[in-house]
Amino acid sequence: MFAAEHIVMFLTSFFTTLFFTPLFIKLGFKTGLIGVDVHKDSKPRIPKTGGLVIFLGMLMGLSMYILLQNFSLEILALLVSAFLAFSIGFVEDLKGEINPKVKPLSLLVAGVPILLLQVYYPRPILPFIGTTRLTKIYPILVLASFPIVCNAVNGLDVLNGSVTYTSIAFFTAILIISLMSSNEFALTVSLCMIGVLTAFLLYNKYPSKVFAGNSGSLLIGAVMATTAIVGRLEVVAIIALLPHILNEMHIIFSLRGFKSAKYYNSRPVTVDEKGISASLDPKSPITLVRMLTARVHVREDKVVIALAILSFYSALLAVLTHIFFLR
Amino acid sequence: MSLQKNVLALIILVTFAWLSFMAITYALSFTLFQAIENIDIDAFLGTLRVVIGVTVFVVWVYGLYLLTKIWLYKILLKTP
Repeated sequence: MFAAEHIVMFLTSFFTTLFFTPLFIKLGFKTGLIGVDVHKDSKPRIPKTGGLVIFLGMLMGLSMYILLQNFSLEILALLVSAFLAFSIGFVEDLKGEINPKVKPLSLLVAGVPILLLQVYYPRPILPFIGTTRLTKIYPILVLASFPIVCNAVNGLDVLNGSVTYTSIAFFTAILIISLMSSNEFALTVSLCMIGVLTAFLLYNKYPSKVFAGNSGSLLIGAVMATTAIVGRLEVVAIIALLPHILNEMHIIFSLRGFKSAKYYNSRPVTVDEKGISASLDPKSPITLVRMLTARVHVREDKVVIALAILSFYSALLAVLTHIFFLR
Repeated sequence: MSLQKNVLALIILVTFAWLSFMAITYALSFTLFQAIENIDIDAFLGTLRVVIGVTVFVVWVYGLYLLTKIWLYKILLKTP
């Protein structure tokens, strides 16, 4: 089902990201848009301009697709939603964290283009049942999905390369499913994002030369939510995102509400010369990284590989769900 | 515990989350979603469906959190 325009789009998004990332790393140092890599002894300062280059790579890839194929409202909705989420993240990157209670509300805005352009189908396909009719509740679910998915992706952006590996797993599942079901929109977006994220991974993997930043992780989350809604892949998307959603849910429960874990007294993990290890303090938030490092000292890159394995396992479950329960 | 064992333990937890999510979606489609979408439904039956649907969902979310807590403190962080 791959056509020439898909291959050209993939190559455009890949090489745009590959070529422009070093430039944006320099830009980060020049403008002072940098963060501290807290899991290293030397606490290096790393540019967090990755979101800009991820957006640029996606924009160039999808623009190439539009040029070769045709313009669609679905892709317009995706670009506007992604830009809105990116902008909220960029404000955070520039000015510091937005109030954790206000942030989910502001991310609702990213879902508005989907509703205004009416590129959703309120008939999700559920396991065992098939197509359902959710005309009244669906628009509310569309809006709610953006803060949930964006924050869930943001919550796993904690180690070098973690957001990139786990997002590639999600888009790989979507790509396989869209190939099986001839889903043009989901195929286009997933292929474009795999191109962007694979190139970005070369700079973002351990030891990171650039961070995705809040702008990058919120943008990726918005693209995931839009792909699920517009591509009518709601259930498989939730399953592919299970590690992200569980992580976010446990943080909210542990902190008893929407609070920033960064300012919490007891951190989920401790870092020393032997590596990362889970905190034994029962007051520490429960996170996936804390669970993976329970009673072990592991190097950061190995924890990221473990997170990637977990994400690819969920991606496999999503594909199996599509094959056995949704067809 | 090694990192591999921790990954395996989490894979089991994610598998449980997956299976229970499928079951919960099935349950919600006959309770909460039905009640919201069908306006001509009997009022008592509609209210009952909403109550059951919301209860099932809340119990599932909290149950998953409790299970994860048990997983972390009783299995992963347990000293031999």
